[in-house]
Amino acid sequence: MHPSATPKIRLPGVKHVIAVASGKGGVGKSTVAANLALALHMQGQRVGLMDADIYGPSIPIMMGLGTVDPNKTVFPLEKYGLKLMSMGFIVNPNQAVIWRGPMVHKAVSQFLTDIAWGELDYLVIDLPPGTGDAQLTLTQTAPLSGAIIVTTPQEVSLIDARKGLEMFRQVRVPVLGIVENMSYFIGADGQRYDIFRHGGGRKLAAEAGVPLLGEIPIDPRVAECGDTGEPIVRKYPDSPVAKAYLELATTAVKELQKQGEQPALPTLEI
Amino acid sequence: MEPGATKLRPLALRKEGSERLIIEWSDGHRSVHTWKHLRENCPCASCRGERERPPDPFRILKPSELVPRPPLAPVAVTPLGHYAYKITWNDGHDSGIYTLEHLRQLCECAACRASR
Repeated sequence: MHPSATPKIRLPGVKHVIAVASGKGGVGKSTVAANLALALHMQGQRVGLMDADIYGPSIPIMMGLGTVDPNKTVFPLEKYGLKLMSMGFIVNPNQAVIWRGPMVHKAVSQFLTDIAWGELDYLVIDLPPGTGDAQLTLTQTAPLSGAIIVTTPQEVSLIDARKGLEMFRQVRVPVLGIVENMSYFIGADGQRYDIFRHGGGRKLAAEAGVPLLGEIPIDPRVAECGDTGEPIVRKYPDSPVAKAYLELATTAVKELQKQGEQPALPTLEI
Repeated sequence: MEPGATKLRPLALRKEGSERLIIEWSDGHRSVHTWKHLRENCPCASCRGERERPPDPFRILKPSELVPRPPLAPVAVTPLGHYAYKITWNDGHDSGIYTLEHLRQLCECAACRASR
């Protein structure tokens, strides 16, 4: 291969690579990615979780981990049975990563190629918001099996989620479905409250012709668990949110099996 | 949305002589491309900018344009994900990403030319 040609990354031990994406920031992508990865693990799968958010990594805090000395540590790190990699393990949380696109491309590629992911059933990738460098690098070089789009119910989130959907359509990565996060809240009175409006995820899924994979309710314990380093699906496995995540894992796996892996594009020897 | 597997996709790529690329598609079409035509339609931002700019009547040739160059040839054709190919040329140009849809549009077979 010509030296300047982008190498296609192969992850021989990894059966499926699932990207968790959204157009908009703050919809709970990392929370969904972390809980989905753990839910898959709780269902007996071997799972890795790669944080592709180079500028704002959230996986370390959600998993109760911090920075380590990269010269003395073997990556990926392991916690709760998951294999983990994040920029947050390398860079101090108080330090900003001020990089242009090519550096992001390099970091994301290295996370995929230089990390010994080993044998995994699923590698879940937590993408940064938007449709920029990290997303392009992954879609061009990683063997993505499918993508899950996270949105909140209101229109302001849907308009960006549509852009994410369109990006995956253009780069031919199958969208496994939509997850509506912060979907509703069940109060102490047992009443359902649609805090961020209602039905956005369902509407988006219908528009795009993809399944609605799940509606995750609001529970203040989600934020508490994220900040204290033990995702809710593990800490409160009987909570409605945890149950929604376990169901999401089952639905996502079914959808993945239904879609099947795309054959790689043919190559040309010159 | 269509599932990825049912979309139009190439099944095989091969070179025909030194001037042509042949692509066999999943719908049975066999597209024919000359390397020259592919390069003339390079979709990268700088080539597109170059094509869209009106010709400069006072253009002065650069010294590099006066030196005889080897005929244009590809050095590598690399698949990008499931949606495109990147062509690296023997003059070092490598920023063109040809989506599958674009490649299909660029087909130079008699039937495709007649339908345009």
